[in-house]
Amino acid sequence: MAFIASSEVEQQTAVGWPAAPSRAVLAWRDLAAGWHRRWMWRALALQDIKLRYRGSILGPFWLTISTLVMVIGIGAIYAQLFQVDAKTYVPYFALGLIVWQLLSSTITEGCEIFLRAESVIQQVPMPFSVHAYRCVCRNFLVLAHNLAIVPIGLALFEIPVRWSVLTIFPAFVLLAVNGLWISILLGLVSTRFRDVPPIVASFLQVVFFMTPVLWPVESLGGWRPVATFNPLFAAIDVVRAPLLGVPTAESSWIVLILMTIIGCAVSFAFFARLRTRIAYWL
Amino acid sequence: MTACLRLRDISVEFPIYSVGSRSLKKVLFNTTTQGNLARDARDRITVQALNGVSLDIEHGDRLAIIGANGAGKSTLLKVLAGIYVPTHGRIYAEGRVSALLTDSVGLNPEATGRENIITRGMYIDVHPRDMRAHVEEIAAFTGLGYYIDMPVRTYSSGMMVRLCFAVATSIRPEILIMDEWLAAGDAAFLSKARQRMEEFLGGTNILVLASHSLPLLEEWCNRAVLLEQGRVIAAGSLADVVARYSRGRS
Repeated sequence: MAFIASSEVEQQTAVGWPAAPSRAVLAWRDLAAGWHRRWMWRALALQDIKLRYRGSILGPFWLTISTLVMVIGIGAIYAQLFQVDAKTYVPYFALGLIVWQLLSSTITEGCEIFLRAESVIQQVPMPFSVHAYRCVCRNFLVLAHNLAIVPIGLALFEIPVRWSVLTIFPAFVLLAVNGLWISILLGLVSTRFRDVPPIVASFLQVVFFMTPVLWPVESLGGWRPVATFNPLFAAIDVVRAPLLGVPTAESSWIVLILMTIIGCAVSFAFFARLRTRIAYWL
Repeated sequence: MTACLRLRDISVEFPIYSVGSRSLKKVLFNTTTQGNLARDARDRITVQALNGVSLDIEHGDRLAIIGANGAGKSTLLKVLAGIYVPTHGRIYAEGRVSALLTDSVGLNPEATGRENIITRGMYIDVHPRDMRAHVEEIAAFTGLGYYIDMPVRTYSSGMMVRLCFAVATSIRPEILIMDEWLAAGDAAFLSKARQRMEEFLGGTNILVLASHSLPLLEEWCNRAVLLEQGRVIAAGSLADVVARYSRGRS
């Protein structure tokens, strides 16, 4: 009989005899414990993707293909509709679409993180943040598959690669942090109120048409604030603009950083207060 | 390290939400229209699953939890396992806990038994490479044969018990918590499981088992508590508590 040594499984209950730590400390410990288990949610995210595409020939590259098909099909027609040069419109649309897909699927999957993990939450004590990290990791893995064609596209459309391209890395870090707080907050709310996931999905569908993905930002003219104050536009802009070799709108980084700070604070407050209720709501 | 579990005045209250109060739209509507139009949004029944439970479980204890259906056995097990944070009271635990509470246990039906061993190991904090080294031994213990490479959706509940039990006991927990579905295993497996339990329970560890099957409890446990409507009404040696339970039923 083999017995395996492993690290201590952390007790989630309010241990502390006689004094229990505060809710904020416990929530922080949950986030830290989840981060410590990086290997766990990385492996689970990979497994999610493998299982999703089990049996298909191309595997996760189906995502890349379907994005390409959308880009080529819509890109050609809409370039004509907007009376812009296809050579500038197609890469603009492609990059915007890739980042939009990351944001939208992180948000919609974020709603479901605790609902999907119901059987695990009810059986095994584990930091709740693991489910959020897993969701963000999985979506970034999907992004990585989509980004595989970007260097080819950049070469094809003869877009110059400048040093500013390196800013996409801190941008991705910020997007990941945003993905985390959004997953936790929406996950909590969706576990309590079961009609939130469809509300969020419908909301995103509408916002897609209000965000400069399909249409160029310039065509807004005097209505520019519609894009400036749209946090999703900020998130897309900080990735798309450097890759296209054009300057990022000044507001984008500010809006993104503000959103990150406020979002994390609000989400942490909810998490600290409601973390222990998740198992009861499921 | 000696394991222990101490509970003081534990209460667990469950909110049961009606369909209306699970809807955000209805709850918001209710607040803004002063109640009449979405009355069911306020519906929220609270069930007291556990009421003032105090218990000390020390190393070497093999505790049986006995009670009628709905007495609060599964809820108590979940509190001990750290899944429910009690709405009132305190719990202190020392030692690594491994819980086997129902047969679904986060098994992925599309993945094979082998893959589920790795996944299940991840949930209890064992890195895949550590787990991979022991998959063969675990597979051999389960006695599932070639089924180990088939998707778990093809398994019977008895086979799932074997798989989950094998994985849960492979990490040598100090505290093992089991709910009554263990009875789904056949006699041959149960004796094998009993053997393994004897090996690592060895006097410094804790077993907590909830079951209706008195013969099973008599074989595995030495102490017992009797639960009725969320309260502990008897605690002591297995024989005494079983006698009290039988008296109460007749």
